[in-house]
Amino acid sequence: MNPLTAFAIRYPWQVLVLATVVTAFFGWQFRAIKIDTDPENMLEASQPDRVVYDAVKKDFGIKDLLVVGVVDEAGIFRPDPLRRVARLTERITAIPGVIIDDMVSLTTTDDITLDGGLLHIGPVMPKAPESSEEAESLRTRISTNPLLAEKLASSDGTAIAIYIPIERKDQSYRISREIERLAQEELAPGQQLYLAGLPVAEDTFGHEMFREMGVTAPLVGLVIFLLLWALFRRVRLIVPAMVVAMFSVVWAMGALIGLGYTVHIMSSMIPVFLMPIAVLDAVHLLSEFYDRYPAVRDRAAALRVSMDELFRPMLYTSITTSVGFASLALADIPPVRVFGVFVAIGILTAWILTITVIPAGIMLVKKEHLESISRGEKGRLGAWPRWLERFGARVFRRAGPVVAGTLVLVVVGVIGVSRIVVNDNPVSWFRPGEPVRVADRVMNRLFGGTYMAYLVAAGEGEEPIKDPAVMAHLDQLGRHLEGLPQVGKVTSIADIVRRTNYLLRGGDPAYDAVPNDREAIGQVLFLVQSSGDPNELDNFIDYDGRQANLWVQMRSGDNRDMEAVAASVREFSEASASGLKFQWSGLTYINKVWQDLMVVGMLRAVLGSFLVVLLLMIFLFRSIPLGFVSMIPLTLAILLSYALVGFIGKDYDMPIAVCSSLSLGLAIDFAIHFVHRYRNHVSETGDLGRANRAIFGLPARAIVRNALVIIVGFLPLTVSKLTPYVTVGLFFAALMTFSALATLVVLPGLMRVAGARLFRRELALRAAEAGL
Amino acid sequence: MRSSWLIAAMVFGILGSTALEDGTGRELKLDARAPEGPYRGGRQAPDAGEIISAAQQAFYAAGTDMSARVQMVLASKEGRTRERELTMFRKNFAAGEQRYYIYFHRPSDVRGTTFMVWKYPERDDDRWIYVPAINLVRRIAADDARSSFVGSDFNYEDISGRDVSADEHRILREDTLNSRSVFVVESRPVRSADYVQKLSWIDKTTRLPLREEYYDVQGALYRVFTSDEIREVEAGPAGVATVVKRTMKNVKTGHRTEVTFSEVAYNVGIGDDLFTESSLRRPPRRWIR
Repeated sequence: MNPLTAFAIRYPWQVLVLATVVTAFFGWQFRAIKIDTDPENMLEASQPDRVVYDAVKKDFGIKDLLVVGVVDEAGIFRPDPLRRVARLTERITAIPGVIIDDMVSLTTTDDITLDGGLLHIGPVMPKAPESSEEAESLRTRISTNPLLAEKLASSDGTAIAIYIPIERKDQSYRISREIERLAQEELAPGQQLYLAGLPVAEDTFGHEMFREMGVTAPLVGLVIFLLLWALFRRVRLIVPAMVVAMFSVVWAMGALIGLGYTVHIMSSMIPVFLMPIAVLDAVHLLSEFYDRYPAVRDRAAALRVSMDELFRPMLYTSITTSVGFASLALADIPPVRVFGVFVAIGILTAWILTITVIPAGIMLVKKEHLESISRGEKGRLGAWPRWLERFGARVFRRAGPVVAGTLVLVVVGVIGVSRIVVNDNPVSWFRPGEPVRVADRVMNRLFGGTYMAYLVAAGEGEEPIKDPAVMAHLDQLGRHLEGLPQVGKVTSIADIVRRTNYLLRGGDPAYDAVPNDREAIGQVLFLVQSSGDPNELDNFIDYDGRQANLWVQMRSGDNRDMEAVAASVREFSEASASGLKFQWSGLTYINKVWQDLMVVGMLRAVLGSFLVVLLLMIFLFRSIPLGFVSMIPLTLAILLSYALVGFIGKDYDMPIAVCSSLSLGLAIDFAIHFVHRYRNHVSETGDLGRANRAIFGLPARAIVRNALVIIVGFLPLTVSKLTPYVTVGLFFAALMTFSALATLVVLPGLMRVAGARLFRRELALRAAEAGL
Repeated sequence: MRSSWLIAAMVFGILGSTALEDGTGRELKLDARAPEGPYRGGRQAPDAGEIISAAQQAFYAAGTDMSARVQMVLASKEGRTRERELTMFRKNFAAGEQRYYIYFHRPSDVRGTTFMVWKYPERDDDRWIYVPAINLVRRIAADDARSSFVGSDFNYEDISGRDVSADEHRILREDTLNSRSVFVVESRPVRSADYVQKLSWIDKTTRLPLREEYYDVQGALYRVFTSDEIREVEAGPAGVATVVKRTMKNVKTGHRTEVTFSEVAYNVGIGDDLFTESSLRRPPRRWIR
């Protein structure tokens, strides 16, 4: 037996005290916890697209925006609602973190109007109108100004938008709460406030996430506890398993925090992932001990027998699961790397604790308490072991149909996988009824889009952007973009020049165009700078006039839509040969970038770990064919899980991508136990059928128990407000079901068909022994 | 001992005679009430509003008229710069009114653009711009406090002064700044404005503002004005203390504008005809080189 377990059996108290002390040390690290909820950190600081975005933010003074909508179904263009909006806007400016200068709203944004020969420059609404005629004329003025329509007010006249730039994205949640509070004081009943924009969704997600952690992780713990109790009915036996799970979480998280890593969206999921996985080995060991004790009636002896049977499969399942997670270290996304590595550490911790703390715990349980296990054991287990045995016999007999059915399933799986759509949107990380989702839907229906993407056009030479041809091109590009269904409003320097030129020429429609003379463009821009907010132009043209920034407001934050818009711009610019270089940025685009990286990274991680696990299997079984055979159930399980994703039309998003690499390490477990123990039985009995019968006793029960632990253990995630958790919960339930079924259905069939060849050595050895 | 107050009064009296005759005699009264020299706290406290008035007079309205070549450097936080170069004329008129004429030399694509501002003490300016590329003069109505001067960190109020009665003023303390004795005056707008509080450090002798701080509704400092160089400019028998280098910095964005005055001249005899539409279109050779 391994020395660790031997030590634990001899010195149970010392082992428990030592484990507790080490856990206390890791727990002490929690005091330095640093939380990071910024999805931008999904990208390396040096990642090219992020570098570009940082430069764009700097060059054009761009800040992350919250978009507030005030809706009054009875019509917002009436004196009273407008007065309320004005007051709300004024009070929002006083919230620390709000960048006052750059707020876009009725009362803070300048509008140029013609009043006879006079160019009037001032706020769109200097003060709330006194009469309904005035309010109505304000509505007309906004809807006829292309720079303002569908930006400040909805075209149906029921809603006003306020765009609130903030200093830092991680303030969005606080500021949005503050705005909600103000709205409660300022708005009348029947008037609705909506808060949209990616920063709100992302920061709210971060906050919800940590709240969910406080609820979900303990809930997962409780559910596992109840399940173990249902399976074993001995609190004294379950407690060590729960201790293993909790200690592993504390070690892994303590190490993560202690080493100075921030707890990010991904790493906050570590406890939830780790707990069910950490109890797996414990369940195998307890299961084995539980079934063996009645025959031996000696704790140490029963443990020794169980450990001899389980040590290798437990070690290998732990290693393979760790490898699956550790393969995430190949991803280009720092938080994913941290997540993978520390879950892997947690799993190895769980393994060490399982082979030490559990035996130590069992040694401390009084003999009298164990007596009851032997009494009435068979009866208490109920009918399911017998049912399992019959099931095993049946699949073994019908090996042909089983193998044929498997092939059909592979085909179905491939079809399903081919239907997968890669797409994500942080707003869809909330359930449809959540305020963030509702606001997103309402605001994008009413206004020109709350998802900001920036398209930077760079030219060559002396102030290329002021070139009339370039200006005209930008103008056309803007109209082209606005023609796309995914895009709402587009604002560029060309729109400002064109509008100002039009007004400067006294509102003559003949001049509703970009001037075709460089000096005129320069002077129009100069006039704009000399009238309103000097920073406003900086958002659209850089200091050297070398780059222009188009504000593209998208109605959807789906990566798919961002991709389509980017593709359309590529086509447009290739067709027109403007000499401009285009570069996308903005949160909507950044999300697309890291999610692309995630998909590729995960795929690479899966293939990488598939290879490593295969090599491990070949090494474990010292047989190349057995190595491949053991990969079959998990391949089938993963294939079917993803086929399910494809068939139900669920987007392949961030959580699904994360699941993929983890699934490999988890799904291999059952096959390891199956093949390893099948071979042992073949060596012992020299008969495939008898080995199959043996497998469908104890090992199959452990597999079913384990599948149940994972399925039920992840189930609390499905009640979460946040869809990534729901997705992970459901996906793992599906994966474990497929994986257990594939192992218990496909492997027996395969063994029947190919077993004679696979175990030629064992069978020959056994035959030789029998012949002696 | 009629020290600096009276000296200052004499300087204003002599050099700024036109302005003083034009109804800005309040400074004289202030000076007359302070025969004991500099305010020493407590007794016969000068009125904060009058200090601000005197400062505006010294800063915005010295002489009967004034001309200068002005260089502006607009610098972003990252150190990128834009330049403006202009010639500016200002003439004081009756009842605190002033007129400005501005001709732009640089940037080169706006060369020849001219600006005219008719400034009224208690209402928004009238402004005209001439756009040479399309040979057009437009009158512009805008809020002085909100509109930037040619894209700089200065707004029109910073360039031509703010109505003294638009704020409530209070002397916070006396202090020294750059080894000059100053009043520190707090001003709070009567009606809502971009700032909720402004602190001014006003030189007791020259009356020039040496530093101004603007605080926004969040209570945060967001703009700082500094007078970086003050020089006596000859104007008749005595000189006029003139801020020839000044900076306005936006603390929040890190953007700043540095302004340098050269070729400053007072009482040069600018005719009223400079401040007309035809001069906007055809800048008089006599004044613009």
